[in-house]
Amino acid sequence: MHIQLPYAGIVLLIGPSNSGKSTWLNQLIENEIIRPSEVVSSDDYRKLVGDVEHIDWKGHPPDEADSLFETYQDISTEAFALMTSLIEARARLNKLTIIDATHLYASDRKKHIELAHRLHQPVYALVLDIAQPILLERDRLRDFPRGGRRVKQQVQVFNREKRTIKREGFDQVHVISDVSQVNVERENMNPLHLSSERGIDVIGDIHGCFDEFLELLERLGYCPNDEGLYVHPEGRIFLSLGDVMSRGPKSLETIEFFIRHVEAGIAHMIDSNHGWKVLRWLEGRNVTMKHGDELFVEELQMYEKQKGSDATEALKSSMKRLLKHAPSHYVLTKQAIPTAVCVHAGIRDEFIGKTSRDISDFCRYGDNEGFDEAGKPIRKDWTVQHKSKTLIIWGHDPRPRPLRLNHTINIDQGVVFGGQLTAFRYPEQTIVQVEAKQDYAQVDDNPLVTLEAKRLDPPNIGKLMNGYTVDTEAFGEIHVSKETALPSIDLVSHYTVPLEELVYIPPTMSPTPKPSAEEDYLEHPNEAIAYYREHGITRLIAEKKHMGSRAILLLFKNEDAAEKAIGRRTKGIIYTRSGRKFFEREQENEIVSRLHQSLTTHDYFTTYQTDFVLLDAEILPWNLKARELIRNQYAHVAEQALLDRKQLQQTLESAVDHVEGIQDWFTEVNQKLKQAETFKQAFQTYCWDVEEIDSIQIAPFHVLAHSEETFFNQSHEWHMSMNQKLAEMDDLFLATDYKIIEDTDSANDVIEWWKMMTEDGHEGIVIKPERFMTKVDGKLIQPAIKVRGRKYLSIIYGMDYLEPDNLKRLKKRNVSKKQKLALREFALGMEGIKRFVHRESLERYHECVLATLAMEAEPVDPRL
Amino acid sequence: MQLSIQAKGKHVDVLSYLLAKNPNNLYERNENGHLVRMFFNRFEAEHVDVTFFVTPDPIELSRNNAGQYDITSYINDREFAVSSIFCSLLRTALGTALNGKPKPEYTEWVDHPFSMDLSVGPIASALSDEAIRELFEPLGYQVDFIYSESGYELDKTKRRSARMLRLSGLTTLQAALRQLYVLIPVMDNYKHYYIDEKEVEKLKRYGEGWLDDHPQRSFILKQALRFKEVYRLVEEETTTQAPKVDRQRLNDMRYETIIEKVRSLTERRIVVDMGAGEGKLASRLGFVPGIDTIYAVEPSERERLKALKRYEKNAEDPSFNPPLSMFGSLFYVDDQLRGADVMILCEVIEHIDENRIPKMMTTLLNLYRPKTLFVTTPNREYNEVYGLDSSYRHPDHRFEWTRSEFISFCETQAERFGYTCTFSGIGDSHPTFGEPTQLAEFTRKQVL
Repeated sequence: MHIQLPYAGIVLLIGPSNSGKSTWLNQLIENEIIRPSEVVSSDDYRKLVGDVEHIDWKGHPPDEADSLFETYQDISTEAFALMTSLIEARARLNKLTIIDATHLYASDRKKHIELAHRLHQPVYALVLDIAQPILLERDRLRDFPRGGRRVKQQVQVFNREKRTIKREGFDQVHVISDVSQVNVERENMNPLHLSSERGIDVIGDIHGCFDEFLELLERLGYCPNDEGLYVHPEGRIFLSLGDVMSRGPKSLETIEFFIRHVEAGIAHMIDSNHGWKVLRWLEGRNVTMKHGDELFVEELQMYEKQKGSDATEALKSSMKRLLKHAPSHYVLTKQAIPTAVCVHAGIRDEFIGKTSRDISDFCRYGDNEGFDEAGKPIRKDWTVQHKSKTLIIWGHDPRPRPLRLNHTINIDQGVVFGGQLTAFRYPEQTIVQVEAKQDYAQVDDNPLVTLEAKRLDPPNIGKLMNGYTVDTEAFGEIHVSKETALPSIDLVSHYTVPLEELVYIPPTMSPTPKPSAEEDYLEHPNEAIAYYREHGITRLIAEKKHMGSRAILLLFKNEDAAEKAIGRRTKGIIYTRSGRKFFEREQENEIVSRLHQSLTTHDYFTTYQTDFVLLDAEILPWNLKARELIRNQYAHVAEQALLDRKQLQQTLESAVDHVEGIQDWFTEVNQKLKQAETFKQAFQTYCWDVEEIDSIQIAPFHVLAHSEETFFNQSHEWHMSMNQKLAEMDDLFLATDYKIIEDTDSANDVIEWWKMMTEDGHEGIVIKPERFMTKVDGKLIQPAIKVRGRKYLSIIYGMDYLEPDNLKRLKKRNVSKKQKLALREFALGMEGIKRFVHRESLERYHECVLATLAMEAEPVDPRL
Repeated sequence: MQLSIQAKGKHVDVLSYLLAKNPNNLYERNENGHLVRMFFNRFEAEHVDVTFFVTPDPIELSRNNAGQYDITSYINDREFAVSSIFCSLLRTALGTALNGKPKPEYTEWVDHPFSMDLSVGPIASALSDEAIRELFEPLGYQVDFIYSESGYELDKTKRRSARMLRLSGLTTLQAALRQLYVLIPVMDNYKHYYIDEKEVEKLKRYGEGWLDDHPQRSFILKQALRFKEVYRLVEEETTTQAPKVDRQRLNDMRYETIIEKVRSLTERRIVVDMGAGEGKLASRLGFVPGIDTIYAVEPSERERLKALKRYEKNAEDPSFNPPLSMFGSLFYVDDQLRGADVMILCEVIEHIDENRIPKMMTTLLNLYRPKTLFVTTPNREYNEVYGLDSSYRHPDHRFEWTRSEFISFCETQAERFGYTCTFSGIGDSHPTFGEPTQLAEFTRKQVL
């Protein structure tokens, strides 16, 4: 007799005292088939809680006997309570537990069966059916005999109960009359675990799109071998998330393909809703084959016509074998440590690595909450409860793009609906896709079309208002607190351009991480260059920093393109770094129309095959946006300072020749007067009259995205060259001067350039690593550092900031919070644009924008 | 910030005793990093010229500023303009003179008037030259100004924002200084410290003997005490503006109309006030019987706090059903708002860009699907009656619709989502222009 113990689960031994349960288990432990920690014995627990294994009340006078009996009962109760919680804990942790007790009564067994079901564990019964004389003989020989009467009583109960055990809900029941005839084995590895060491390519829902599937395998590097099996030269294997059949044209071929590859051990396939339905149909159950399953039936009928019934029966039985053994999910491991989960429709964290009917059900259908009016299941978002960091790879519910959400990734891109077939390569975590040759399903409610129609639906406020987390590709998770989320929602509800159009908020930028080592500078390029060198980046770009107002320009090829992207017919929009309209409506129309005309005339949209261009820019002059600020603060302060200092200078001048000791004050006021004049000049450099739009300048510095791609992997030289091209297309666009830093000479060159420029009153430069997005050791570093000029800084830190005593104190500034925010906002900005370009839902790109606004609500020294 | 005092005539040299300052020495005193300085430019028997000035520490000044997360707190006029900061920094230096407590042998000179020129500034004031004259001329000064050059070349039309004030007249030193201590903060655009009852006490002390009879007394008090609550300690406000009453009346009529309409609905268990603001309508709904739950939805935390206070005030009334304040916005979806009986958009839509309205209506009528929806908005035609030619009634209005525009919009929406729509007007009716407010009542059609 052969018994295979499960990797994890609950095993009940059943049999009267003296059946040899403990002895047998000890043998198994000795033979290292099971571990001592896997055995839980009621006798042991009685000893643990009550110091004794057994209390004998026989032969005592009735009053004593009663008392002893009650004590024994109490000990038993406590022992079983403790045992139960241990068994439960082990079950939750997916461990094997073998319970050594008599389990004679149905109620004893039921308790464990229920526990096992509740915690998704298999439950086995090993029934030891030993003849009564042997039991009595053994009892006589033991240290604390239970007594013939009790043994006989137990045998009576056992004989009555053993007939019903099989119907009690055990996954397996083995009746053993002689343990020496039993060969026990156990699974040492979780059968759901798959080593990903050689690489696994996880394939989304194929739905009979066999041609696309083969094309995908070839793109992944699989080649047919002599036996026609697709193998990978590096030993990678592929794993289907299920739903390989139905809806599409070639279900049978796809299934046959999997039968051969799964049986050869070079592929895996997971259970799924369609797979389960087909299996039950094959098993002759009464199921209605619809939702594309009827096509499978048709294919099978055709097959039978062509190949005959024998071949069909053979195929059917191997199909059944494949489908029946398809697990609910797989756990991918690295060095035997679980790191990812593959599942068809969804999973709960507590299900991972376990097997049960409920788990299979959940994994096939996801978290469904009844059906809607049209009879379609209402799918709840199971991903929100996923708390662990294990990556869950899933399909089932088509999304237009692979969707990463809360440590999950959906890779069903609806190939059968005319989308793509996706492979997710693990552990590399890269995506390979094949376009569908056509929309095979031809259904009225094509999910990709439905999703597209709902793309710009208003975001769900419940997901945002209590604080939330954005999963960014560049920086990982970024948390938004409730305190900053609420005012940001208020902001976009009142002041910004509509949510649909607000696709990006530019990140804040840190100044030099350390103050200048030079005595009379607060900021200097040296510290920015040093920051990047410390991170091992030597090729840098220095771009002139324009002093105007930051602006985002989203310019469309035509109004149709705008409607497709943002749901409104327009040629373009321009908004500020806080999301507000940059210009009044008429002026915006004028500027946008002109830019549109120029870009169209120069074939911008056709050359780059794009529906839109998203630009990050500075718009000059400063007074366009800052008129009130300049009038009420800068101009006013300059006037006050000049009048104050001039008056004082005159008074002191008239006294300097006859009032003793006043020379110092006079010198001081002269110096301060000069500083006030510098201040007045500094801010006026950035202002000029704007009578018509020709005196406006737009200096783009990043071409963030086109409709089909983002440009975060491009170098800044590429961005600069694009800006040069734009400047050639329209005079409103201003190309930005820049220099490359590669070595000491070019660094010195940049420093000289910076000095010259800032002495002229220009704001300064921005130093960036060569590439738009740069990571060092997997960590994002500052994408840009601003180095502002000495004169310019007087409008930030005050006209007297360079006085040694002031500068000494100002150099104690701390930029760490600013840097932290700069990185987060940078990552959020890229993430939002990526989602917008990938045509994800408004809710998805809005959450990034809202998060950036929330970051901007954090209190930070505004002078940084 | 500076103050020069020039005095001519007999005995002016006693001023050094009244100020308790040695005319041969420079005076410098450090007040929290700010340097208070003084020197005598002239000290003769019949001609004295003394200047006080402050060299502030700008970093110290901005550090104590409440708005430290705003760039304007670092670039501001407080280090230059004479203000209450100047007054308090000079408080010690001028203490003897302000209190009129020189050495006993000079006490007799405290009330002695001298012919004086006081030059103080620069001042940062929204008051016109004329208004400033009206403050000082009644006190017997001749008033002159020294203007700055324009600070900002692009803004030529603007009035210059810095002036030095020159006062000439026959006055005692103590009176002159006390008058400046009261009137400098009055002229200045803002105060640097919190204004409370102590300020009232200071006004009484420094204003003694001149403020009560000043023709601008009430203006001076109002300016000096800024906050209504403090001002009330001195004087009651009496004026109310007439047009405001009108607007108030229209608001009330609007609320009453909506309340009456809600009251007449048979299904009104759940009522949602979208864009509830400070809760004026919602708290009135709290007195309507037959409503189980009132949701007052609003995205502004400030408005919601105001609304909560309003509800609390009513809470003592047992018939009051306090509305539930809910954070929410018309540009998002909130599943909790599905299935309400009544929804109200009272003077909300005109604050939303016109091209965003259809989508918002889709959320309301297609997703939330209340049994009844009320929408009110201004009737633009009626602006004629108010004498508003092309401007809107409120600067935040993004549009105002005529009656036909509103009706056509509402009927389109009703048609799209299976509602019927009726219209009425609120407020005084005009034969040509109708009523100032228009109201649409959407009723969901019964699905058979």
